[in-house]
Amino acid sequence: MASVSVLESLRQQIAACEAQLLDLRRQLVEAEHQQRQQREQERLQRSAQKAPDPLAYDFTYGIHDDFRTEIFAALSQDEDAQQATKRWPLERTEYKRYGRQLIMPEIGLQGQLRLRHASVLIIGVGGLGCPAAAYLVGAGVGTIGLVDGDVVEESNLHRQILHSTGRVGMTKVDSAVVALHSLNPIVKLVPHHGRLTPETAIPTLKPYDLVLDCTDTPASRYLISDACVLLGKPLISASALRTDGQLMVLNNPPLPPGDTAGGPCYRCVFPKPPPPESVVSCGDGGILGPVVGVMGVLQALEAIKVLTRSSPLPTNGAASVDPPSLLIFSAYANPMFRTIRLRTRKPKCATCSAQATVTPEALNSGSLDYVQFCGSINPVNTLGPNERISAENYAKLRLDVNPFTGREPSKDGHILVDVREKVQFDLCSLEGSVNIPFSVVSSTLGSSVIRPDDAVENAKEPDWVSELKSHPDKPIFVVCRLGNDSQLTVKRMKNLGLDSGGQRWIGDIKGGLKAWRESVDRDFPEY
Amino acid sequence: MAPAKAPSGHFSILYFAAASTLTTKSNEHLPAPLEARHLFAKLEEKYPGIKEKVLSSCAVTVNLEYVDIDTEDAEQADLVIKEGDEVAIIPPVSSG
Repeated sequence: MASVSVLESLRQQIAACEAQLLDLRRQLVEAEHQQRQQREQERLQRSAQKAPDPLAYDFTYGIHDDFRTEIFAALSQDEDAQQATKRWPLERTEYKRYGRQLIMPEIGLQGQLRLRHASVLIIGVGGLGCPAAAYLVGAGVGTIGLVDGDVVEESNLHRQILHSTGRVGMTKVDSAVVALHSLNPIVKLVPHHGRLTPETAIPTLKPYDLVLDCTDTPASRYLISDACVLLGKPLISASALRTDGQLMVLNNPPLPPGDTAGGPCYRCVFPKPPPPESVVSCGDGGILGPVVGVMGVLQALEAIKVLTRSSPLPTNGAASVDPPSLLIFSAYANPMFRTIRLRTRKPKCATCSAQATVTPEALNSGSLDYVQFCGSINPVNTLGPNERISAENYAKLRLDVNPFTGREPSKDGHILVDVREKVQFDLCSLEGSVNIPFSVVSSTLGSSVIRPDDAVENAKEPDWVSELKSHPDKPIFVVCRLGNDSQLTVKRMKNLGLDSGGQRWIGDIKGGLKAWRESVDRDFPEY
Repeated sequence: MAPAKAPSGHFSILYFAAASTLTTKSNEHLPAPLEARHLFAKLEEKYPGIKEKVLSSCAVTVNLEYVDIDTEDAEQADLVIKEGDEVAIIPPVSSG
């Protein structure tokens, strides 16, 4: 049985040959085009020499440039009759469609041919992937692969510009294919349904020339970067949250691990993942459409730059590539953009250095656990059953006569604390609730963590604590959006002694306002 | 707003993304000079918890240049942040 290293070596050789073949094909197209141009030129010269009469002079120089080539083309028709269809390297419709970028020196005919022969994989068809895909399909990249495992939701539509109201519920990949095909039917679209996993990463990325990371978790960012280094693909990575965005062109030039002339990878820039509890999704933290849109558009721009750059010779591959940088976008800062100069590959990088521990075998076998590497937070479940009340029972307590005491319901009989941030509380809230944002609660140090030297500073009790202490007899119900922060708040309140040593009941509403909407009040807004 | 120029004897520090959320500011001025390897301790003193929540995973730049100051064998452990320098704390943003 062949050893693993032999198999890998064969795979690498095949990949290298395929890349070479692709490059040769492109070179052939370019060479054919140059040959045709040369022939044309020679024919022009020949006819100028052979016919020294004034008419020939007129034909060569006296005719408007716009018509001259056309006339000569018509005259030489029979000579190249068989080649008529291949006379122009692009189809007629392509000259029209891409005309505005074709006439730019940055693109030109060669650049357009490079785009047409290129394939790009876009991972994540959301806020970043939609605009990135739209511009790359518009620009005529030959093949675009789309990876996503989600379906379109109404809350996506303010920023995910390929999807539409009518396609809510459709997979994002299918929805994007519909939109992109109507935008440009020339481009070949390859749908990849489902999320990228360590086991599927290498086979999925392998056929493509360039990868765009448009995903939304730290785990996928490390996975995609690792796979790109192992496969030798340049990676354009972007992200956005709230009003901030980041953009990097990584592994460019895409040289093998250990080659210090290669571009840095995601691990070189961010070797340690952020702690999982600090990772905020767009669903929780919010996102402004144009912020993520800008980042996705910039990804498409960088992709076009990488793809249309004249193919570097293997020997001086690094020479034609921009030095690595991190672009930071802050929509509400001035200046909005900052460019950070990045270092080259980190000497001890786990993926792209000579001491790399991330290998294709480890990736394929699934022994690299990216979710574990980045950590994960389990749903909060810190309270006992006697510290929690269901939304239905809380509704009864608010609305019905108490079945045990026969007392009329009273909203004054308890305190309802809503710990969502103020901006969310202002959107919608339960009548009579008071807002104490979780950020305020969590920044109030519990009595157990007060250090002796801070005692004087911490002696001053925050207003919200003294306010709650001034009604020691009323039970406190805590509610939040989903039922996690409410539990942590109950813990913190007890830690601060608000339960008067167990005299007062403090608990949370299980499942938060989501449960309230689902089981009590269907009109309560969902956002 | 464009951050004001640092007063004499200070450097500017910019907080992005999660660093801005935790400190509740986008920039401020801190006394210079400061040895770069003491930067995290200085910030932890000012914002308890920031080291674990933000600094442990963030990128740090001085004058728009990525610097490596945190690891044991950091190449720029001896770097000194000078008066007028611009330091930035850049946590990874992973959403999209």
